[in-house]
Amino acid sequence: MSEVIVVTSGKGGVGKTTTSANAGTGLAKLNKRVVLIDTDIGLRNLDVVMGLENRIVYNLVDVVEGNCRMKQALIKDKRYPNLCLLPSAQTRDKSSVTPEQMKKLTEELREEYDYIILDCPAGIEQGFKNAIAGADRAIIVTTPEVSAIRDADRIIGLLEANELKKIDLIVNRIRMDMVKRGDMMSIADVVDILGIDLIGAVPDDESIVISTNQGEPLVGDDSLAGQAFMNICHRIMGEEVPWLDLSGKSNLWSKISDIFKKK
Amino acid sequence: MENTEQIEGQKTVETAEKPRKHAVIIKSNKYGITIVLDRQLPFEILKQKIAEKFRESADFFGSVQMAVSLEGRVLSEEEQWEILEVITENSQIQIVCIVESDAEKEEFFRQSMSTRLNELSAQNGQFYKGMLRSGQVLETETSIVILGDVNPGAKIISKGNIIILGALKGIAYAGAAGNSSAFVVALEMNPCQIQIADVIARSSDEKKKIDKEPKIAFIENENIYIEPLSRDILKIIH
Repeated sequence: MSEVIVVTSGKGGVGKTTTSANAGTGLAKLNKRVVLIDTDIGLRNLDVVMGLENRIVYNLVDVVEGNCRMKQALIKDKRYPNLCLLPSAQTRDKSSVTPEQMKKLTEELREEYDYIILDCPAGIEQGFKNAIAGADRAIIVTTPEVSAIRDADRIIGLLEANELKKIDLIVNRIRMDMVKRGDMMSIADVVDILGIDLIGAVPDDESIVISTNQGEPLVGDDSLAGQAFMNICHRIMGEEVPWLDLSGKSNLWSKISDIFKKK
Repeated sequence: MENTEQIEGQKTVETAEKPRKHAVIIKSNKYGITIVLDRQLPFEILKQKIAEKFRESADFFGSVQMAVSLEGRVLSEEEQWEILEVITENSQIQIVCIVESDAEKEEFFRQSMSTRLNELSAQNGQFYKGMLRSGQVLETETSIVILGDVNPGAKIISKGNIIILGALKGIAYAGAAGNSSAFVVALEMNPCQIQIADVIARSSDEKKKIDKEPKIAFIENENIYIEPLSRDILKIIH
């Protein structure tokens, strides 16, 4: 019973890679066998966020072209032995892989892993088509901005046209203080426009920037974003989890508790 | 406009009088096709020739709605019906009406075709269940009822009316064939643009509160009006 999940958004910079890294790490934390695939050929960066860049020898294109075996290209995570990364190629472009080849590749990985998470490139061209080819379900990442929501809406339409039925939503980078002032769309507003199931809401948190730069996914730690990502992992596995309070109060509380922990 | 019609009319007359190699010739005009028939050929053979001709071009025509006119031969009403039967048997063409090809009757031809089509598209309807998302375009020959939202960036084009049981945030184009009595109804009317027949209205640039009241958009005095859906308004709409 393995699942192939594509993390996509349409628009760039909304947090696809961060979400992929944290969801993958979180699921591995929950003792699932997980492989992360970076399908953004030519703009490789999932390996950087995961802190595994120095281990890359072979990549996705090498596997597809038969230059190496799958086992050789898969990079074992430094924290969890049941988590692997298949990095993308830096010196090639999206046309080096076809949707059929991606389908074959994910089928091969299904046998050994519970979750295959595909980090999709921005846009709706070849790279997007490759990423969704072998997927069973999709996670749409969006921010509460009209441009990101418009692109997400278009992507959902394209996924539906490709017979991908199970589509869930993550609203990323919410600032509860701005929502309260009426300067930002609320989660309910976003869900209302897109009309798909919400699987997670992640606050705009400094700790994400820090964790990304350090190459250490923050999923499961005490930060609000870390908790939000852990909840997303539970929901991906089909569990019911109560929604986090993302308002400023608990944010402040977690900050205070962070300070105490550091001391 | 009048000039071009005259020229076309002349052309038809010319070709009709030339000696012909073919027993059946199909020509297109603005509203459908003109079938030019041989004057001498026995009627039964002529029918076979027509059948042949339409079988060959069935793929080309597909299932279109058009008006047909018969030319080149004096036909009794019975013969006309037989010919029409042959055409519908051998192709998917839906004949909306028959018109005698007479230049004087051009106007009648146009009117009967467009009113008939308008009636057809306004009276008949289809359902679409689901959300229309950015980049998606839904085009229908008839009126359409949408069970779902029309999101920003999506577009519906209907030759009849558009009824949205949800929010209209994208573009709606009703009466696309020129029927200015078409209307657009939505439970939540926040369109980007509305077009009815050849009148276009766009939303105002000022940000306003989202309207959750059911509303109707229609043409009056060549302007598009959007009003709350009330009984009084429905009386005005025909």
